[in-house]
Amino acid sequence: MVESLYVHVPFCAQKCDYCAFYSEPSSGETINRYVAALVKELEWLAPELRLRTVFFGGGTPSLLTLRQWEQILGAMERLNLLGAAEWTVECNPATVSLDKAKLLRSFGVNRVSMGVQSLNDSLLERLGRVHSRAMVFKSFDILRRAGFENVNVDLMFAIPGQTLGIWRETLREALALGSEHLSTYEVIYEEDTRFYAQLEAGKVAEDEDLACAMYEELCEAAEAAGLRQYEIANFARGPDVETGAPGLVTRVPERACRHNVNYWRGGDFHGAGPSATGYVRGVRTRNGSNTLLYCEQIEHGRRAIEFSETLSPLARAGETAAFGLRMVAGWPFGDFQKVTGYDLRNEWAADMEEAARRGWGRVDEQGFRLTALGLRFADSAAQLFLR
Amino acid sequence: MDVAHIRNFSIIAHIDHGKTTLSDRLLHRTGTISTREMEDQLLDSMDLEKERGITIKAHPVTMLYRAANGETYELNLIDTPGHVDFSYEVSRSLSACEGALLIVDAAQGVEAQTVANVHLAMKQNLTIIPVINKIDLPHANVPLAKQQLEDILAIPADTAILASAKEGIGIDEILEAIVARIPPPTPTGAGSLQALVFDSYFDTYKGVVTHVRVFNGELKPGLQVKLLHSGKHVEVKEVGSFNPKPYVREKLEAGETGYLTANIKSPQEVKMGDTITDTRHPAPALPGFQEIHPMVFSGLYPINTADYEHLKANLAKLQLNDSAFVYQPETSVALGFGFRCGFLGLLHLEIVQERLRREYGMDIIATYPSVIYRVTLTDGTLKEVDNPAYLPEPNYIQKIEEPVVRAFVICPNENIGDMMALISEKRGSVDHTETLDSRRVMLTSVVPLNEILIDFHDRIKSLTRGYGSMDYEHAGYQESDMVKLDMLVNGESVDAFSCIVHRDKAEGRGRALAAKLKEVIPRQQYAVAIQAAIGGKIIARETVSALRKDVTAKCYGGDITRKRKLLEKQKEGKKRMKAVGSVNIPQEAFIEVLKA
Ligand SMILES: Nc1nc2c(ncn2[C@@H]2O[C@H](COP(=O)(O)OP(=O)(O)OP(=O)(O)O)[C@@H](O)[C@H]2O)c(=O)[nH]1
Ligand code: SF4
Ligand SMILES: [Mg+2]
Repeated sequence: MVESLYVHVPFCAQKCDYCAFYSEPSSGETINRYVAALVKELEWLAPELRLRTVFFGGGTPSLLTLRQWEQILGAMERLNLLGAAEWTVECNPATVSLDKAKLLRSFGVNRVSMGVQSLNDSLLERLGRVHSRAMVFKSFDILRRAGFENVNVDLMFAIPGQTLGIWRETLREALALGSEHLSTYEVIYEEDTRFYAQLEAGKVAEDEDLACAMYEELCEAAEAAGLRQYEIANFARGPDVETGAPGLVTRVPERACRHNVNYWRGGDFHGAGPSATGYVRGVRTRNGSNTLLYCEQIEHGRRAIEFSETLSPLARAGETAAFGLRMVAGWPFGDFQKVTGYDLRNEWAADMEEAARRGWGRVDEQGFRLTALGLRFADSAAQLFLR
Repeated sequence: MDVAHIRNFSIIAHIDHGKTTLSDRLLHRTGTISTREMEDQLLDSMDLEKERGITIKAHPVTMLYRAANGETYELNLIDTPGHVDFSYEVSRSLSACEGALLIVDAAQGVEAQTVANVHLAMKQNLTIIPVINKIDLPHANVPLAKQQLEDILAIPADTAILASAKEGIGIDEILEAIVARIPPPTPTGAGSLQALVFDSYFDTYKGVVTHVRVFNGELKPGLQVKLLHSGKHVEVKEVGSFNPKPYVREKLEAGETGYLTANIKSPQEVKMGDTITDTRHPAPALPGFQEIHPMVFSGLYPINTADYEHLKANLAKLQLNDSAFVYQPETSVALGFGFRCGFLGLLHLEIVQERLRREYGMDIIATYPSVIYRVTLTDGTLKEVDNPAYLPEPNYIQKIEEPVVRAFVICPNENIGDMMALISEKRGSVDHTETLDSRRVMLTSVVPLNEILIDFHDRIKSLTRGYGSMDYEHAGYQESDMVKLDMLVNGESVDAFSCIVHRDKAEGRGRALAAKLKEVIPRQQYAVAIQAAIGGKIIARETVSALRKDVTAKCYGGDITRKRKLLEKQKEGKKRMKAVGSVNIPQEAFIEVLKA
């Protein structure tokens, strides 16, 4: 049985300037068609699912209308897919209404991830976001009123034009909201985005020192506000508890996102919707990204999988090691062995030593984890562990 | 074939004037190759020759031609390389011939290599047939090319044949001229076999295949022969010619060119220019040719020290077919175990490196090229230094002499000023200026070899928009104020980047090298200091700032595959870097410093 499900909603009101995700401007008719196809795909997956975590991401899931949501949620009820311990839906502050929030909550959605990105209006415009800072406060209020007690706020830093002062102010105001969770990312100039084009054209420049200062500021401010870092880009409230994945001893703050933790522990998950990824019994699959093609294939009774990859057990274990180290808890040796069948202390002894030599990692009896410095060089550290 | 029906000739020209293309045409017209086999620059058989569009090795081919007079002739053609690094191939080829087809590009006119090669041919008293090629080009200027033949080379213009190798124009006329104008071989008058060795290559099955021109007597399988220079006796196993692939013949007679195989395992056993004669009736040696010596030296090192033996084996394989290339083991503080290699010039160096990388799949780095310096020590002893690492400390040095060349630069009149400036920038002095025709001059100058190695030729080309050309010959040694420039990476001297330069240029070069290295050394976890130093004194400094972090990106289930692939690629890239102390230096850095 697979305990995690990711659902991709590939629609956005408009494309943000930095975004390389698969999403496209919506037309009501396409969305209806998508909803029907999604329901059908869920029907196929349902027999294999007993859900502990669900994540609706995008795109902008909150863009779906009440009616469309009712259809999806109703189908999930019919398919016995309700009742996950953690069920997250991503929302854009511009598209949160009380009715929608209440509907989601009533079907068991218990976590909302808000794409805030910044609380500075001119930066929001720079990013090409559709919402304003005022909408953030309003939406947050609506979510609380609808009964959401577990809310994540997404923030971005190192945005072109963002000064350390602006970042401090955004952090202060965002933390003052009192969300249970905080995710923060540095702007990445991905190919095929407007940001990338601007970087190439020399209109913006990366400032590593500033990005470092912002990251330090973030870690301090989050910690001071009671949000503890449990992954490179993620902070959460609450005392340390087990992740909920059966048999693992890794501990995370209570409000950590269990769905994402499952990724970093190398756990199985199914994916539904265009471009959604799945990872079941060692096979990674990805649906095609084109929504219309996705719908067409599903309508013809075919899975929409366009890519699948089966790595050797060792390569898979290397990947699990590499990405698992993103977590502050690192890898308890027992957990790693349970998930991959390999002992870190055999195959990766030299790499752990090398990481320690560079000041990136620490080994003790229980396991291996990255240091604060190591978390900043997580990509370089990950390279050591890949096989 | 009876001697009267044999013609031996080389095709010579400045680089790119169309030698190989014309050779292909001759092969086609004589039916040596069929239309189906025809391809561009067919004789450039090495991948590298094809890709770069240049000939590196001379190629002999035998053709049968039915002339207008109804008689059949055996034409032995040798296509030669045009690049100055390989000019020894030209002189060797010419020594097997009675004539030469001199190709002149109708759009470029006579250039430096044209002059040099004509002089080689004249020195050997060969009959020259001038061919003005590429007359199909819209900017071809035939009258001017003719004028230059007369003015510069003293070749009567009315003897020139107009041709287009590309369009197949003038080919018949060339073939007829070969028969009519080039004399048949004349016996030397010796009593028995005399065959000149002018080239060789290694074949896995046959061993060393020796290219010979028979001057007297005949060569056939079973004959016991002696290589006069080495004194070695062998039995001839097989003789043949090329069409252009080797094919077996019954015998090679006086006047013919072809190949022989015998029990010869190593190319070192066959000296170029040696005479092969009958063991039982030895004849005197033919005039041979001067041995060539490598002029440019560079250390080749494997990126991964474990590849040392592998590199050694591959160098040996390369040398089998490239007798001008020499190597011997050496060690470097920064790079470990490798080989000191000698080359004819920078193109030769580049080609050897590229073949090692591509044909043999090796990851290698090459140290900054050096010439041979003659160092007189304070105790009067003379030391030859081809590696900056072995230059003695200044207080032990009485004087340093460096090799110089006589460089011939041909350029349009309006570029005289630029050329003078360039030559003086290169520490050269112009001996004299000669007016070639109404538009062009030839500057003869003496320039240190180490100055023309890197970019002299490219600079001439760019300053003259392609109309300038250059050739050089070695001209001994001159005393110069040379110093060793060290490059330090995090305090460690990286001998691969060291070089010996003139004192006046040391600082500029040091600054340029440091700046270039800053550009090509990727940021690492630590700051990397790059310094240029002369005798311990730092003259330039750059810093590659420390990498403070990787990008803080999100990474969820859908990102893993893409991210893993990216990380794998980066990891692979790091493996291909040379670790010098704690600093990783990419292969490209060692190539880029050449361009600093
Ligand atoms: N238009 C035109 N181009 C020609 C002619 N002959 C040769 N070329 C071109 O000139 C270039 C050089 O030709 P090659 O035959 O490789 O010259 P090469 O003299 O053998 O060159 P190296 O061996 O490198 O010295 C090629 O691009 C040919 O296609 C011609 O008659 N007309
Ligand atoms: S809302 Fe999210 S998914 Fe849509 S374009 Fe913006 S960043 Fe991309
Ligand atoms: Mg050629």
